[in-house]
Amino acid sequence: MKHRMLSAAVAAMMATPVLAAEGERVQITGEMIDTWCYYSGVMGGPDAVQGTAHHTCALWCSAGGIPVGLLAEDGTVYMVLKIEGDDGSAGGDTQLRLASHTITADGMLYTRDGINYIVVEDVVSDAGITNPNHEDFGPVPGFAIPDPNQ
Amino acid sequence: MRPLALCLSLALVAGAAGAHDSADDHPGPAAADALPFALGGPFRLTDQHGRSRSEADPEGDLQLLFFGYANCPSICSAAMPMMAQTADLLAARGIGVTPVMITVDPARDTPAGMAEPLAELHPDFIGLTGSEDALRRAYDAFQVEHELVFEDPFDGPIYAHGSFVYLLDAAGAVLTLMPPVLTPERAAAIVAGYAERGA
Repeated sequence: MKHRMLSAAVAAMMATPVLAAEGERVQITGEMIDTWCYYSGVMGGPDAVQGTAHHTCALWCSAGGIPVGLLAEDGTVYMVLKIEGDDGSAGGDTQLRLASHTITADGMLYTRDGINYIVVEDVVSDAGITNPNHEDFGPVPGFAIPDPNQ
Repeated sequence: MRPLALCLSLALVAGAAGAHDSADDHPGPAAADALPFALGGPFRLTDQHGRSRSEADPEGDLQLLFFGYANCPSICSAAMPMMAQTADLLAARGIGVTPVMITVDPARDTPAGMAEPLAELHPDFIGLTGSEDALRRAYDAFQVEHELVFEDPFDGPIYAHGSFVYLLDAAGAVLTLMPPVLTPERAAAIVAGYAERGA
């Protein structure tokens, strides 16, 4: 069976687990974003799913397990694998505390399959939420903030 | 968790439109750096049909592995359909891939409890559960953390949990991991890269 031959060949070639590597030490400044809403695009363009406009939804998404990302000033997104003191990619105290914040992260960069992953070892600086874009977009999405009358 | 469920539902209806940068723009084959921690290892659990299953695929296919729960309204409702669609895209290219979920909610995800929601996702979707010790072995192997966040009056217990999707070979070794936010097309391209490297 073709599938089995392919799989067996892959297994023979790469039977060892994904293991440690050197990576590249980097220091990245950018905003901690909600990667689901950023990539799906259904909440609007990328400018609308950052900053204060998207902060509430970013908290919901991180709490629900969506990996957080670091959107660098040059537009590159780094998927966060771990962040100082929090052994996860979403939902932890650190990820929630830093949602929508602009930070400078020092850590190790790993590139696989065209995707950038970062293990943040140290949050060098935390400027808080610096993008007050709710003034332009309002809350995105509007239902991220429950209506107390419903 | 209602806002998140709504958020994800809208996204799924819209088909998880294309990404804006590197996560979706690099169609190239598997590449590059290993990761700074070991991933993967042996486990033995029970699927929704009551059959014992290890990290190896009995059909000899590649596997997409995710940790979640069958009735999860949050990231699982995005990641697991993506896995199912990825498997279909790859099957059309002659690459066999089995989507597999290991539960983080064994109280609800009994074999019988998982069967219907997983069948709705994909006929070949495998759901795995087991004893606390057996599940812990799998969580530890993949460094997956999970915790109860709160009890939703509509959806029951809501868990925060690791949400990356792992590509395993037929023997159960980890080939790579993928964020659950990828489109099925992008995920299929990554998996095909590994399959073709082994061809």
